[in-house]
Amino acid sequence: MKKFALNTVILAFCCAMIPAAFSAEEVVCFESRKGASEVTKRDLQPGLPNVKCSPKTGAVLWWGDPFDGTVPLGDTPLLGHIPHGKAVVKPRSEQLAILPMCGTACHNGVGPAFVPPTLPKGKKPVPIPTMEGLLPDAQNLQHGRGGIWCLDCHHATQRNKLVDNFGDPVSFDEPQRLCGKCHGDKLRDWRDGIHGKRIGEWASTGKKRWFVCTECHNPHNVQDGARNRGFMQVAPETPPQLPKGMKNMNHERVHGVSQH
Amino acid sequence: MTQNPIPLDDPSSEHPPECQVQPEPKNSPEVDSRRDFLKTSAASILGAAALMTQSDDAQANIEWAEHFQGNYRLMTEQEKIEARARLEKRYSAEYGKAVTVDGTPAKEGVLLGYALNIRKCIGCRRCVKACVQENNQSRGQETGQTIEWIQVMKMARGEFSKEKMNEGYPEGLGIQVGGNAYSPAGVVLEGEYHYQPEAVPEKDSTYMPIACMQCEKPPCVKVCPVRTTYREPDGVVVIDYNWCIGCRMCMSACPYWARRINLTTPVLPKEEMNPKTHYLGNRPRMRGVVEKCTWCVQRNRVGRYPACVEVCPVGARKFGNLLDPESEVSLILARKNVFRLKAELNTFPKFFYFFD
Amino acid sequence: MQKLMSFAPDYILYILKGGIKFYAWLGFLAIFIAFALYGFYLQNTEGLIVTGLTSQIHDGLYFANLVFLVGVAAGAVTIVFPAYVYHHKAMHEVTVLGEMLAMTAVIMVMLFVFAHMGRPDRLWHMIPYLGIYNMPGSMLAWDVLVLNVYLMLNMVCGFYFLYVKYSGGEINKKFFMPLIYISIVWALSIHTVTAFLISTLPARPMWHHSMMPIRFIMTAFAAGPCLIILVFLIIRKNTKLWIQDEAINLLSLIITWCLGIALFLTLSEIVVELYARTEHANGLYYLMFGLHGLTKLVPWFWGSLIAMLIAFVMFLIPSLRTNYKLLPIACVLGFGGIWVEKGMGLVVPGFIPTPIGEVTEYYPTMIEIMMTLGCWAIGFFILTLLLKGAIGILLGEVKYTGVKTGKSNITSGGKAAAYEAR
Repeated sequence: MKKFALNTVILAFCCAMIPAAFSAEEVVCFESRKGASEVTKRDLQPGLPNVKCSPKTGAVLWWGDPFDGTVPLGDTPLLGHIPHGKAVVKPRSEQLAILPMCGTACHNGVGPAFVPPTLPKGKKPVPIPTMEGLLPDAQNLQHGRGGIWCLDCHHATQRNKLVDNFGDPVSFDEPQRLCGKCHGDKLRDWRDGIHGKRIGEWASTGKKRWFVCTECHNPHNVQDGARNRGFMQVAPETPPQLPKGMKNMNHERVHGVSQH
Repeated sequence: MTQNPIPLDDPSSEHPPECQVQPEPKNSPEVDSRRDFLKTSAASILGAAALMTQSDDAQANIEWAEHFQGNYRLMTEQEKIEARARLEKRYSAEYGKAVTVDGTPAKEGVLLGYALNIRKCIGCRRCVKACVQENNQSRGQETGQTIEWIQVMKMARGEFSKEKMNEGYPEGLGIQVGGNAYSPAGVVLEGEYHYQPEAVPEKDSTYMPIACMQCEKPPCVKVCPVRTTYREPDGVVVIDYNWCIGCRMCMSACPYWARRINLTTPVLPKEEMNPKTHYLGNRPRMRGVVEKCTWCVQRNRVGRYPACVEVCPVGARKFGNLLDPESEVSLILARKNVFRLKAELNTFPKFFYFFD
Repeated sequence: MQKLMSFAPDYILYILKGGIKFYAWLGFLAIFIAFALYGFYLQNTEGLIVTGLTSQIHDGLYFANLVFLVGVAAGAVTIVFPAYVYHHKAMHEVTVLGEMLAMTAVIMVMLFVFAHMGRPDRLWHMIPYLGIYNMPGSMLAWDVLVLNVYLMLNMVCGFYFLYVKYSGGEINKKFFMPLIYISIVWALSIHTVTAFLISTLPARPMWHHSMMPIRFIMTAFAAGPCLIILVFLIIRKNTKLWIQDEAINLLSLIITWCLGIALFLTLSEIVVELYARTEHANGLYYLMFGLHGLTKLVPWFWGSLIAMLIAFVMFLIPSLRTNYKLLPIACVLGFGGIWVEKGMGLVVPGFIPTPIGEVTEYYPTMIEIMMTLGCWAIGFFILTLLLKGAIGILLGEVKYTGVKTGKSNITSGGKAAAYEAR
């Protein structure tokens, strides 16, 4: 009886260990803001990881290969001088998992109520539980402070696309063609590399991965939390090590700069 | 999705001057990847061989030769190759991985410059940590064992208060020095560096990262008694770590507190070591020598952005060739309002702060 | 040639003969020397992390002491100058003792340089042709040059004089006097160059003013003679060599003037910096009143100021100055006050705050303090031996008598001439 019990215990122990051995911990970190452009850490070559992540905040600190997972940037006005393949982006379309469904399952521009396709009267979004669940921060859209609404940016019938002023679809991978309509000065600076972010080669003719607008900015939520200057607050990394002999650096705050 | 390995330039090739300032990477991707493969595998075989055959005598010979090597700049090409090979052997044995010590020289027609948008910086310190990930700084737990090349200064937006109005002096015939006199606003010399809020940016603060300015007239270069720190032709100020005597005159001379001293043998765990190094850049240092930011010379010599530029989540950091009118740094100088720190000291930094 | 061959052995034999007091003193110093050797070992294996140095405050006790000792070395000129330029008879008798002190001080400077550097094993990098010697750009290179030349000048002048005395010959003025004149000017230069080392750095506003070389020279000419007077009084008490009152009084007078000017310069600095109270004055403010509640150096500053003031008053009043019972107190106060003012009052606050405004404090470790004491002990050890030999030759107790064996050249077996118990 005792031997049986012992064996059972050992077996149970081993069974408990097996799933633990199999579920290797996956490290996922975010490139700019939490919730956007997340990357799973893996080895490109032995000893060369694709990213190094911050243990404190979960942000990407370092790219092993800046072009990992990128595709060439599509045709953008005023970027025609860049040879094909020198400007790459990380595609977003694939990550918007439900995107293919948007155009087929619900909004295909076809159906008895949609011949010809009409827009809701009053240009106000109708609260539908599905949409509310999908996009909570689009309620009471503050982008433009009440000056724009959903279909100003999203295509009315091809809901897996954005739209430009001519009614032509714009891919989610090239939001700059849409954002730049109103934010022209930012587009001009972004095109020249002054606004926004590019990683890769520093030469002006070098290959760069461009970060598109939505990788850093969330157009549905421009007023989130204690927002400061268009970019959401993030947790900072750890401060420098205390110099020798100093117990703390509280004297730095004697000005009253930091009130917390 | 093709995996495009970082192109490693051939160190001995000559680059003919061209109209376009930056030469295209010469080889096709297949050749690049093949060469990289050969290089990496050769290096790893060498490293593995070194690991296996590192006898005590060989070890002593390497240490002896390294100790008595001359100044890097004065070496012949062959001596430089030998010096780097010695280091590769040593590092590979120490860190258990194939370490490369590159020696790519500066390119013609390149003057590197840096621009930082202080309106954008949110003080997240990711640049500080990315730099540490890339550049193999010491990172022990004991005091004095952690080195970070970038310091982020937090500045007040302006704290003027009604309560202080009556704290001025002297009284009588009006207050000559206002009570709000020493309230900080903007850049102050007594900065706050050890801030630790829950979230940045804080409402009452702005942030300004400071690291080596790569001056055109560097005071650190002038005072070095052995000329171990010097300005390279592409504008980067570098240090030959094997030549530094640790007198720390350069640290006293730098107006930006950009330089750090290795108080002890650097603490660098094997897993965290970045094996792609440059002789003048991020190769692991030794005790008693000075180190500082080199704008990631191991990266910028092969055409890549420094680690801090790449990591900045708000895109505040810009880097490029000041001699190329199309580079983002040149465009910033042309279009934006730019200033340098402590310009009155005539150090002529190539690190520009701007705002838009 | 015979004389030259027997000079060194006679000299050494004389030094080694001593009484209990002598050996007790050397033994006491040897304890600290052992600490210094251990400290050197630790610093060359573990690195400077055993000290209290940081990247923020990276020059501490060692640098402070080496700057101070350059001043003491320069202070020897206060003996040489009156002796040879003004033909001051009393000083002339004891010039060689000043040169011995100068030599010792420069050797101590070099010891502290070794302690201060991150990689003393790489000092050969500074040797021209073997390495790179950054002349004329680097002030540190200049400093190395002037210090080494000063050491050599003093060695040549000092030992030449002693040898001539020993062998009973005549000093070759054509050879000797130019060297003496050069060494007088050179003494000024060593401390000026050391001052330039730190005053040419605009990154350090506390040091970056033209007053620095003057201040260095004045404090050097105050601290050096203070030590010399103390040494002279000890020599008077413990050996047969009688140093004239005129020599000591002249030194006191020099101290009075130089200490007075040094205090005036301190006052001037305080007024200039604190009148407008710019951020450049932060270092001085930290020293005098503390910054943000960090006040570690404040008692040191005020203590040294009070010590220097009391010493100045004591030196100023002739009746106190010539009272040889009170003079040692004044000398100790002056020497200590200037030591603190140079070390804690100048070197450390130059780094507080850092050029970009980070305020930290400096906490020297026990190893650092023991190393410093040990290097001072090595200095005093060498000084004792050198002075003993010099005094022996001055007294005529070590004289070449033409006989081969060394022992007969030493007239009174070491005991009488050594540091006897009274």
